[in-house]
This record gives sequence, C-alpha cells and structure tokens, in this order.
Amino acid sequence: MSNDFEPKIAAFLCTWCSYAAADLAGSSRIQYPPNIRVVRVPCTGRMDPFLLIKAFNMGADGILVSGCHPGDCHYLDGNLYARRKFVMLNELMQFAGVKKERLNFTWCSASEGKRFADVVNKAVKRVKSVGPWQGFDGKGFQSKEGELISEEL
Amino acid sequence: MKNYDQITEEIRKIAKKILNDKTVDKVIGFGLGTINQEITPLFISKAEGAKKLVFNKNSHMSLAKYLLNYKNEDVAIVAKPCDSRAINTYLSEKIINRNDIKVIGIQGCPGIEGNTACLECEVRNAVISDYDVGEKISKKKTNQLKEEKDFDSLSPEERFKYFRNEFERCTRCYACREACYVCYCKECFTESNQPEWLNKSVSLNENFTYHLMRAMHMAGRCVNCGACELACPEGIDVRALAAKMYNTATEIFDYKVGMDQKQKTLLAEYDVHDSEKGFME
Repeated sequence: MSNDFEPKIAAFLCTWCSYAAADLAGSSRIQYPPNIRVVRVPCTGRMDPFLLIKAFNMGADGILVSGCHPGDCHYLDGNLYARRKFVMLNELMQFAGVKKERLNFTWCSASEGKRFADVVNKAVKRVKSVGPWQGFDGKGFQSKEGELISEEL
Repeated sequence: MKNYDQITEEIRKIAKKILNDKTVDKVIGFGLGTINQEITPLFISKAEGAKKLVFNKNSHMSLAKYLLNYKNEDVAIVAKPCDSRAINTYLSEKIINRNDIKVIGIQGCPGIEGNTACLECEVRNAVISDYDVGEKISKKKTNQLKEEKDFDSLSPEERFKYFRNEFERCTRCYACREACYVCYCKECFTESNQPEWLNKSVSLNENFTYHLMRAMHMAGRCVNCGACELACPEGIDVRALAAKMYNTATEIFDYKVGMDQKQKTLLAEYDVHDSEKGFME
C-alpha cells in the first residue's frame, strides 16, 4: 500500500528564488516527482502559518515551503522573519502529533535547479514514509464520489 | 509572602488614595460576584467604592484586556504578575499608552486556586508597577512550585490521540478567546469569511484547526497565565499548545514574553543567527 501511495504536497515557493529554481529545473529538463502542487507567493515572509495549517485541514499529505537563502531575500529580510515562524510552527505541529516528515522547510536559490529537484525528491520520500494524511480527526478525506482522495490519485 | 486578606487591604488603601487625589478616573479591580467568593471585574470611580475591591484565591481573570476599553482615560489596574506581563506586551505593541495607566502590581502573588499555570509560574512578582502591594519574593523561591506536565515522554501518536480526545469536546464557544488578553483583534480569524480560515461547523477537524491556529497567534505573545483553561466550560486542556509555544520561545530563542515594555514580540523581530531547528537537511 505505502508503495502505491502518491502523496499530495502543497508547495509554497517564493517567486524570486524557489519558483525560479523550479522553472530552471524545468527548462534544464531535470526530472522531479509530480506530487507537489505549487503555490507561488511573493516572499516567504508573506507566508501566514495559517495557510500551512489550512493545507492540512483541507487534506494535503504534506507541505513544502521554500524561499531564498537567508541574506538573499529580494525584500532584504522577509525570509528571516519567516524562519522564526516556521521554527515555531514546526514545534507546534510536532507537539500536536503531526509527524515531522510532513513538514518540509528549506531554501533554494534561483540557480539551484538541481537542488530544487533533490529537495522535491526528498520531500516526497519523507511524506511517503509516513503514509496518507488522515486529517486531524483521523477519518481521511472523502471526494465527491465517496472515495478517499489520497487513494484516488 | 502576604496572604489574600493583607493584599486586599493594601489594594483598597491605594485605590482610595489615588481616587481621592484624582490621580486616576477609574480603578479596575476584582470584586465579589453574586456567588460567594466568586469574582467579577469591578470598575470604581468613587473613593467610597474602594472597599468593594477584593483579591482572593479565585481572582483568575486577566483584567488587562479591560484596559483596551478605556484607552483615553486615566485608569489604574490591579495586576497579578501575569497581568503585568500582559500590560507590558500591550505597551510593546503600542496599543496602550504608558502615561494613561497606573498599575497596582501584586508582588509575591500567592497563586490562584485550580490554575495549573500558577504551578509553572516563573515570575511571581509584578514586572511593571506604580504602586506595589504585597511583598516581593526572592528569586530563589520563585521556582519552587514548578511542575510541568510530561508530554515529552509521549510519542507523537499518543500526543495526537490526547489532543483529539481533548478537542473532541470543544463546542467552539470561544470562551478561551474572550478570556485571553492576546485576542484583541477587531475581526478574529474565526469570524473571517474572506478568506474563510475555519468552517463554521463544529467537527473535530475544524476544532483541531482552530486550536492550532489560535496557538500560532499565541506564539511569542502568550504569557502562560492559564486564563483560557479556567474559562473553558468543557475543561479542555486549552493551555497545552500555548504553553508549548511559550516554552519553545524560551528554549530556542531565549525569549521571555512581556518582561520589558521595550521588547518587541518574538515574530516581529529576527536575528541573523537564528536557529533553523527542524529544517530539511
């Protein structure tokens, strides 16, 4: 079962670095798994932790947040503010019992297309290792046809 | 450490004095409610009324929030150590003015009955105070009551199960939000329709999400006073997540909430050398 499982990962990428890295990975024809659903954000500093909690609420198996390396932010210090938020969110989610494999935070610069592909590979591997996310109530997520969404993929 | 009656006497004396010489227009304090020993907030503007002020083992509510209703008036407020930290946070967030308020700070707080947060309390003297009541406890004694719940020994699955059991009972009455001094937003995320953070239905999934989101708002602002837990009609361990945020801020960022009025809130600041605990690789 866990081998067939294809997770859905909500990926929040900063438009200046990681989104460009994803673009570069594409134009360099580097393969990476199609499990991520990319949301483009202006800066990781804009990332409200609520968005990440909401992603789990709505059935994402895992999350991936990637921005510019510290010091390289297009807005100078957006990712430095973000870093504290992520550390706090990570601690909170793990404390509440969400496995740490579902929470992926990293940095990718615009020139690191190869690294971006590696990051996605790694994130998918991590999420696969803990299986489908069953929601905070443990009941799983139903699609309109009444099937489990995570099995539908 | 002085007892409740002695502290009550001192509060009354000070309230009478500052209302008589017109230092303040109003004193916010604790008063006796309709049921014996139960507490209600009391707003006093005449010196004769000062004798109604009390402080007893049930004085659990955080009065700091009432300061927001009297923003442009000169008010004095009776503050437990945790409330004094809340006032400091308000001052650092610049939503109240230091010149408008006078703080009657309770030094050496004897604690509140049934409040588990008091057992973990590290600061038992008011950190901001214009008029002191009670007497300061020395630093040595402050950690005597420390007793934390042991969550670390549980596995993630056990903690997940524990919180599911807790939040299953939640009716989303938002009493924890109303009791909390941090929650002063004009429009709370729970009521927001655009974006709709929370579904209005009461289900475990939504309840859990609500408590996680609330805890995230608490991060670096919660003073771990336990008002939310005492306000909960279902007896849910509401404080656990917020307390975790409080302890994490101390452990990872060496940050103590509300100790100084010039201190910025945790997430409004950064350090270039901040920890990246929990990041990939």
